[in-house]
Amino acid sequence: MGALNFLYAFLMLLLVFIFQTTLTGLNRKVTARLQKRYGARWYQQFLDIFKALRKDSTSHGWVFDFGVIMALGGIMATVTFIPVAGFRAFPGTDNVFVISYLLAVGMLGMAMSAAGSGNPWASIGVGRALTNMLAYDIPLMVVIFTMIFAFDSASVGQLAEMQQGMGILGWNFFRMPLGGIVAVIALLGMLGKKPFDSFIAPAEIASGPMVEYGGKHLGFMFILHEFMTFIEVSLIINLFFGGGATIWEYMLKYAILYTFTNIISGVMPRFKIDQAVKYFYRVPLAMAIIQGLVVIFTGLGVTIWF
Amino acid sequence: MVLDNKDTRNIWEKIGDFFSANSIWMKWYCTGCGAIEMPPTMTSRFDMERLGMGPMATPRQADVLLITGYLSTKTLRRVIYSYEQMNSPRYVVGFGSCTINGGIYYDSYATINQLDKYLPVDLYIAGCMPRPEAIMNGFNTLIEMIKKGEANGWRHYQENYDWYKKNQLESLGEVIIHDEFHE
Amino acid sequence: MNLNLVIIVSVAFAIAAYLVSKVNDKAGAFMTVAGSMFALVTVFLLRNSIGSEISFLYFNFNLTVTGWYFSLVMLTAYSMTAFFNPFWMKKLIYPAGYNFLYLLSMAGTLGVFFAKDFITLFVFWETVVWSSAFIIQMGKSRQAAYVYYVISAIGSMATLFAIMFAYGTTGTFVINEAFKGLAGYPGRAIVIFITFIAAGMAKIGIFPFHVWLPSAHGSAPHTFSPVLSGGLVKMGAFVALLSVTAFPAYEIFKDMASFRGIPLPIYFMMALGAISIVAGTLMAIKQEDAKKLLAYSSVANGGYILIGLLMLDQVGFAGGMMHIVNHAVASAAAFLSIAAVAYRTGTTKMSEMGGMIHRMPVTYLVYLIAIISMAGIPPMGGFVSKWLIFQGLADKGLIFLATTAFFGSIGSFLYVFRPLSAVFLGQTFTRDLEKKEVGFFMMFPMLILTLLSLLTGVFPNIFLRVVVEIQSAFGMLPVTLAENTIVTSNGFLDAFRVFIVFGFGFAIAFVLFVIRRKSRKVELMDTFTSAEFIHTRELLHYSHSFYAPFERLYEKAPDTMKLYHKAAVKINELGNMAESAFFGIRPARTVLLVMGMVLIVIIAGGVL
Repeated sequence: MGALNFLYAFLMLLLVFIFQTTLTGLNRKVTARLQKRYGARWYQQFLDIFKALRKDSTSHGWVFDFGVIMALGGIMATVTFIPVAGFRAFPGTDNVFVISYLLAVGMLGMAMSAAGSGNPWASIGVGRALTNMLAYDIPLMVVIFTMIFAFDSASVGQLAEMQQGMGILGWNFFRMPLGGIVAVIALLGMLGKKPFDSFIAPAEIASGPMVEYGGKHLGFMFILHEFMTFIEVSLIINLFFGGGATIWEYMLKYAILYTFTNIISGVMPRFKIDQAVKYFYRVPLAMAIIQGLVVIFTGLGVTIWF
Repeated sequence: MVLDNKDTRNIWEKIGDFFSANSIWMKWYCTGCGAIEMPPTMTSRFDMERLGMGPMATPRQADVLLITGYLSTKTLRRVIYSYEQMNSPRYVVGFGSCTINGGIYYDSYATINQLDKYLPVDLYIAGCMPRPEAIMNGFNTLIEMIKKGEANGWRHYQENYDWYKKNQLESLGEVIIHDEFHE
Repeated sequence: MNLNLVIIVSVAFAIAAYLVSKVNDKAGAFMTVAGSMFALVTVFLLRNSIGSEISFLYFNFNLTVTGWYFSLVMLTAYSMTAFFNPFWMKKLIYPAGYNFLYLLSMAGTLGVFFAKDFITLFVFWETVVWSSAFIIQMGKSRQAAYVYYVISAIGSMATLFAIMFAYGTTGTFVINEAFKGLAGYPGRAIVIFITFIAAGMAKIGIFPFHVWLPSAHGSAPHTFSPVLSGGLVKMGAFVALLSVTAFPAYEIFKDMASFRGIPLPIYFMMALGAISIVAGTLMAIKQEDAKKLLAYSSVANGGYILIGLLMLDQVGFAGGMMHIVNHAVASAAAFLSIAAVAYRTGTTKMSEMGGMIHRMPVTYLVYLIAIISMAGIPPMGGFVSKWLIFQGLADKGLIFLATTAFFGSIGSFLYVFRPLSAVFLGQTFTRDLEKKEVGFFMMFPMLILTLLSLLTGVFPNIFLRVVVEIQSAFGMLPVTLAENTIVTSNGFLDAFRVFIVFGFGFAIAFVLFVIRRKSRKVELMDTFTSAEFIHTRELLHYSHSFYAPFERLYEKAPDTMKLYHKAAVKINELGNMAESAFFGIRPARTVLLVMGMVLIVIIAGGVL
């Protein structure tokens, strides 16, 4: 782990930010078209972030600031662990548990900072976000567990490489179809897309955790959101859609999956938080466990079975 | 408000103003009939997002405070509170003739007649109420003003805080808190 | 120094503490600090004499590396908590008795961990149970001590039965020999295994014995809860460990039906561990008292430890052993920080506090690091042990246990965040505005535990090397360790690297934050309230029934304690019925009836 790794990591952060922010901007346009609008400019997301960074900000004490820094720091560290089309900024750190739990540092930082603002709406939002996490993460983790059992590896990069070179049917999404569907549903929950977005409900709880952020804090939250989106979509791309042999293939798959979640989100109403929990524990969890039992006891899906 | 024609901004401020002009987040105060003109402005017919504008949930996040119509003295207190929670640079837009001169209820004991005695209004959109076309036109003007560095109401408010405070106090009077939480 | 000397000196410290406390209770409390620190240092120095055996009076000790590991965990909890004792003397009814029993129970645990034969184990076990039961009743309620004692008694009686049964079968009291001798009797072995492990499970607080934890942890004196949760609960883990290793459970049950390579009796115990994880997590989420919440979290973490230990493999077992240290350290730190808050505010109810971070920032940081470890988030220790347990489960494909383990792991984010948000964050209550941070003497143990949490997370191999020794001692394949890395068949974890990269991310974020203009500091009450004016701090603090929508989903779930109460009532009624039958108006009739039935049974038995 030399200085070069840190340089790579820094460049990776920069490129990820540019790529994901552009994609978010384009997706704002996609959503607008769904609603028969013209929509924002493709670079609108950059303008929003830089505008927020430019403004003055208010702070509610040191934990309000510290939480923001901890959140962005944890999320940025997680981004550098994500393998992208065979590239790893820090080789050997792409264990799936490390990634999914290091992501939690960022979330804890955000929750801490939000609750530290002293606004009850922020606490309500955080409570909902954590409940939402408890809902979507269990089915997803069960599927990932099945995958680790099946392929004897917990490295995201290795799991992605194992699916390559066998055509589209080599993807885990097709080898473990139930698990793949669960993962995409869980991705909607992770990204906070409708119907699982009750924790940022703007009209009901004044955007939940974000309620007290303004200026640079809000800008940080937007940057953090872009990075978090990248981590979550990348996990699913690597684990279920074969990653990418080249960076272009990876970016294409990524853009398609991310746009797909936005299209779903554009036509959905919103679940209440307890409805979301019930839904995740009824349908996706059952599917995930059935998928797990099939893989563990029959071995179907470990090899290509078409 | 005295508009300064000389541009004294440095390069960073100019860049900052470019961002501010192209990304305006609104917090609107549904004080009068004007609020009903906002939904058509936002949705597919007029599509405000083209200009980079959008609604926001709280004053902390917002850049521009919209006063959409009549302001009663009772609401004025809340509006000032919200305005002071916003982060600079912040802008105020008054909707309709009621924020300019009191409109048809100019002689009511419960409404205020001139909004800019209490808050630094950057832009008025005339009409009773202004149609979405007028609102879009107004926002375009606001964007141009911010780009040129002419929307300096928030600075004016800081510099003349005593004057604004005096007007606010005159209108609101002293209040002894006595609500359901206090004896 | 010899082990028997350590125990004798500890008991001597206990008696001295009692006598000194009679004169000056604060001085007696300082004796507990001295006594426990002495034991910690001397036991740590016993490292070199591992492997030796000592006899003393009727007791036989065996210095194993397992015992050494466990007793260090235990003594860390005891000695760090002892620093809080001097500040609680005024709140206790019997300060002298407290100090005496504190050190006596500590000496007892040493005997348990190093016991060579069953008699030694049992005597010292009972010493610990009795002395801790008397300490618990000095807290908020006597009821808690009853519950604790009853559950402990169930465990003790089960152990006694197992010991006697094993002795009857093999004719020896020496733990290893007695258990090894059972290999020829699988039928008896299963009874002995279940009764023996029952004591351990009762102590860890595995379902259905978990009821004592919340009541005892919740109402014990604030200075004893950290010891209960961080230390004494681990005694149960030790017995569970004995039941699978000294008792070669996998060998004895190897012919039985199994699920994915795990014999059914052991799988059943693991399933109980899984139920504890789920029950502990769900109950912890809905608690309103910070100490009860942490107690239920101990139930859940006990489930992890049990599952890890019972896997008895290369990775999962190491995870279970590592989790013992991590949970002890994190739980003791969390309980101590809540105790520190209670020392200033006088309450542990979460809805009666708020915003303590602005008054007690160091205590807040201690709690934060403790919960990061407890929830299993890198870069703290809890992550490493949970990672190992997950790897072990994934190796074997134990999907149902894994589902509950994931549930407990994500669920812990929910419950550990509650005290963080309700006690430390949010609005400071008006009556707490003038409160101060605790003094250095109380801060010191909390900081030490915090550093330990960080150490276990960044350099886990320091601890895992001892675990490797333990695994080799039991003849298992030890977990593979490289310089900084833990290697499993599914991949590897370099905790130090994760920590460095996290630091890198944090540094970038910090620089980005600092180069932007400084923010305007505003009052905590100056928050967005839809422009409503609110002047009461307490009303702007959201802490009561925090996860209400989620709690609503399982509010009708049965309460184990209520079921026990119902059972008690039924047994009582049964007794009353028997009493009225035999001592009622016509006892002769009942006696005749019973005699007649006995006759019928005898005759029927003879005919058949």
